[in-house]
Amino acid sequence: MEFRIAADELKKALYRAQGIVERKTTMPILANVLVTANKGGITVTAFDLDIGVVSEHPAEVIKTGAVTLSAKYVFDIVQNLPDAQVTLKKLANNYVDISSGSAHFKIVGMAAEEYPKLPKEENAPLVQVGGNTLLEMIKKTQFAISSDETRYILNGVFFEPQSTGKVRMVATDGHRLALVERELPGDFKLKSGVIIPRKGLMELKRLLDEAPDAECHLGFAENSALFKKPGLTMVMRLIDGQFPEYQRVIPKEGEKVVLVPKVRLLESLKRIALLSADKSNAVRIGLEENQLIITASNPDLGEAKDVLELAYRGNGITIGFNARYLMDVLAVTETDEVSFELGDEHSPGVLHAPGDRSFTAVVMPMRV
Amino acid sequence: MRAIIHVDMDAFYASVEQRDNPALRGKPLIVGGHAQRGVVVAASYEVRPFGVRSAMPMARATKAAPHALVVKPRFAAYAEASEQVFAIFERYTPLIEPLSLDEAFLDVTASVGLFGTPADIARRIRKEIADELNLPASAGVATVKFVAKIASDLAKPNGQREVRAEETVAFLAGLPVSRLWGVGPKTEEALRLAGLKTIGDVAARDLDWLEDRLGSSGRHLWELSQGIDTREVVPDRAAKSVGAEDTFDEDLVGVDALKPHVHAQALRVARRLRRAALKGRVVQLKLKFADFTLITRRTTLREATDDGQTLYRAALELLDKSHQGKPLRLTGVSVQLDEEPPQLGLFPAAAPRTAKLNAALDKIAERFGSKAITTADIAGSEATDSAEHRSERPVDKGGPKD
Repeated sequence: MEFRIAADELKKALYRAQGIVERKTTMPILANVLVTANKGGITVTAFDLDIGVVSEHPAEVIKTGAVTLSAKYVFDIVQNLPDAQVTLKKLANNYVDISSGSAHFKIVGMAAEEYPKLPKEENAPLVQVGGNTLLEMIKKTQFAISSDETRYILNGVFFEPQSTGKVRMVATDGHRLALVERELPGDFKLKSGVIIPRKGLMELKRLLDEAPDAECHLGFAENSALFKKPGLTMVMRLIDGQFPEYQRVIPKEGEKVVLVPKVRLLESLKRIALLSADKSNAVRIGLEENQLIITASNPDLGEAKDVLELAYRGNGITIGFNARYLMDVLAVTETDEVSFELGDEHSPGVLHAPGDRSFTAVVMPMRV
Repeated sequence: MRAIIHVDMDAFYASVEQRDNPALRGKPLIVGGHAQRGVVVAASYEVRPFGVRSAMPMARATKAAPHALVVKPRFAAYAEASEQVFAIFERYTPLIEPLSLDEAFLDVTASVGLFGTPADIARRIRKEIADELNLPASAGVATVKFVAKIASDLAKPNGQREVRAEETVAFLAGLPVSRLWGVGPKTEEALRLAGLKTIGDVAARDLDWLEDRLGSSGRHLWELSQGIDTREVVPDRAAKSVGAEDTFDEDLVGVDALKPHVHAQALRVARRLRRAALKGRVVQLKLKFADFTLITRRTTLREATDDGQTLYRAALELLDKSHQGKPLRLTGVSVQLDEEPPQLGLFPAAAPRTAKLNAALDKIAERFGSKAITTADIAGSEATDSAEHRSERPVDKGGPKD
């Protein structure tokens, strides 16, 4: 194997691998990428046995062949090369010579034959999807994914095509839930929703972020997902299991509804939460006539209070919330105002754009 | 100004034995384990003039008082009596801080309007304990905890003493410095060398002088000598942890011998958690080896629990890893309570089946006593009940040694 490639191109390929390769693993080869030189170009493959990305790049191939190399070290090397071009050449015993301008590296690799094979998902019915839409949907749900590994069903986003040509994505950690519904027409041929794991979703987000306008295809087969865009293929294993019945925990409409200026609320939560006890981010949200009052107290520090003027008539109420949960929602809300629906101290708070529930977040109170 | 009562049962285990067996009444009585290797668990007032004290080796105690009657401890009976005593406390205030099976602080500040002066309340509590349970108790009444505790000690046996706010400094002045919380033999020696023998000597010095010589504990001692003690009565509900431990009659070796004790402790902790509607995630096992070295090991459960079997499984895992096959004189199980304000969940979790079982067990225990129903491995053994302890807020650390 020998090829010559633009350093930036190789850097891009290795960057895509960084989030996937596993450094702490009993299989050392999973810390490597598989570099394959074909006629006309190279592919760089990263695979952690659950998620695999194959990245194609133009290169001047002198001799075809394949080898695996440390994803991290070669990435670091490529970022520090003196020249815009770099040549990789496989030597005996899977050593690889990396040369660029005046610099030479001789790197220990491992045999390509030992690299685990990616599952072939050619049967997946691919649907063309808008990269920007998919990106938006990921951003509006990812924060609610559970990081509690014992609740692995919740360690991903539920992807549920609707009959209307729309797709719903839902994430919940058992305390809060985020739901977004957007146009993603096409037949995914799914009987029910599937759960996309957090790590795969984050990689997908990273790939979409590179070029959201690129032509993207998404499909599902067996228990895997397949994502393609020009020069790139990604496969990932889905989470196997039953996502909870999320519809049941989304209230129709709260008893008390207020329209709140988004930025004001976000900033206010941020400053008041500074005084919440023990990093719990617990704040109290009170509604009184034409006022929303946010307070927090910490036995070691003191108290904080902020008042937002808004239109409200009705009974006064105070409900505890984790400010972080509310801030996560507001941070991805695009409208200037947000509709905040409240029940009682034990009922969820609901946030959505005024008159638009296509992005809805449900947040359970805290006992404070 | 607070009204604090410290109630302390007199020679509790011995009094229970004398109550339940008329042949023991008025006699020098030692409650203790093995004649050679055990320790004295309790000594009746009749045997105390001979120098017999609890925790003394049995061999020494029987030598000092060869005429004394000796009975084996019946922990289940003491735990039962203890629950009855605490039930009487609960008639007067919810602010009860148990220090052990036979001792508690009561904050009766808010009860005065209902039941009379703090001294009246103490008298009523002692009378009800005497009438209903036929057991003697002593009480100290003061405005702060440590003074109430000293007062009850001075009132023993079967008496009570009140120290009013304005009398506090004078009351303390004549007492030896060793009466102050946090003064052990080392500090006592340091104070003696500085010419301070009584609490009054400490109070007479100024703060800077004490701080120069004793560092930060100088301020603490000076405050105590002035009768200043800001610690509140912390009921289980506000405690940081709930625990149970017991010292064995004789040292035990091996998991099989220790298991029933750890199991009983776990069940007891869980019962107290449920009674206070609390749960905890961090389980701690305390082991004291025969050579008195003390180790604690902890583990964090996936979710907070009030289930005794769950606590037992966690404690047993810790025990397996840490007992080292060495002889042990004490085990203790405790649970650190969840402190975070609880976040409510979206998906109503079905109450685990254990919750139903525990509710049924609690009802049986409530009606027929805590030994009416238990698990097979600890049935009929002395491990059924164990001494209780509770950890307090950090500021309360270094309390008095009895």
